[in-house]
Amino acid sequence: MPDWRAIARKKLGPLGLDAKRQEEIVLELAGHLEDLYSDALSQGRSHAEALHSAFDAASDWNELRREIQLAANEEVCMNHRVKTLWLPGACTIALSGMVLRLLQNPSAPVPHVLGPWHSTELVIYCWWLVSLPVIGAIGAYWSWHSGGRFLERALAVSLPALGMVCLPLLMFPFVLGYDLIRFHSFPFVPMAILLFGWGVLPEAALLVGGLPFLRGQSGQVAASH
Amino acid sequence: MKDHTINIGAQVKRGSAELAILSVLSDGPLHGYEISKRIERQSRGLLRFNLASLYPLLYRMEKRGWVSGNWEGPAGGRQRRYYRLGPAGKRRLVPLREEWGQLFQALHTLAGVTHA
Repeated sequence: MPDWRAIARKKLGPLGLDAKRQEEIVLELAGHLEDLYSDALSQGRSHAEALHSAFDAASDWNELRREIQLAANEEVCMNHRVKTLWLPGACTIALSGMVLRLLQNPSAPVPHVLGPWHSTELVIYCWWLVSLPVIGAIGAYWSWHSGGRFLERALAVSLPALGMVCLPLLMFPFVLGYDLIRFHSFPFVPMAILLFGWGVLPEAALLVGGLPFLRGQSGQVAASH
Repeated sequence: MKDHTINIGAQVKRGSAELAILSVLSDGPLHGYEISKRIERQSRGLLRFNLASLYPLLYRMEKRGWVSGNWEGPAGGRQRRYYRLGPAGKRRLVPLREEWGQLFQALHTLAGVTHA
């Protein structure tokens, strides 16, 4: 009788799980292979045919290893992404929106996004821009502290500006079509101002604030060393 | 001769595999090999699990609380991991059956596809 446990352990390789769980999985898979082998023998097949039958059930051990790892880390991944990206990102979006609204006179309308801007609106905008590095730092620190990788930290910081950029870009084909049909022209300059003023500049301000936490290892990795 | 066997891992969505496993476990606890044999037998050989399609799915379902696995066996004898349907799995089985019933009904109406 082949040593199914040794075979399963060797074929599966390290799963990156704790030793007890890894051994349980090896034992379970080895049992399955042994059952296949024994069943084939009991059906009158030769030793070689029975072995072949058992190995047929797990022809791709790399896929099996990958699938088990994915299954084992599914929940962890989801929690990790929520903690390192979505929560800090939601925080930066909420804070940037709240600060903008607080800077305005609550009874006043929201500043025009395509201009022309009055001096009051410009002052509000500038103050908002000044506040963004602080907000970026908060988002980046949160993600860094939760163990976020560089991309997660950068995205958590950038979400408010990305939202500001994506929305006009999504609207772009419709605005383009409408303006071309109605006015036979397109407001390229106001659109460029919109993208620059509400996308590029806020993005730069947020990243400047988040910069100290974007570099190097995540907080959890650093703490473990 | 053309092979009409459906390879669950590759061709049928995970939902159908979950339904198959939950269904056989609704009759009582089984270990992994028994689950695969029971499904193969009850589907008249149409549905087959291999190691890569069965165990990762069982581990996922266990993580969600649909099934629970426990090592059982005679003292000094071979231990096997038996899976039982948990309360969450029982709750999941009802809508899964309905959804797949509706899907087959829709396919039947659309293209004359019937249950196996």
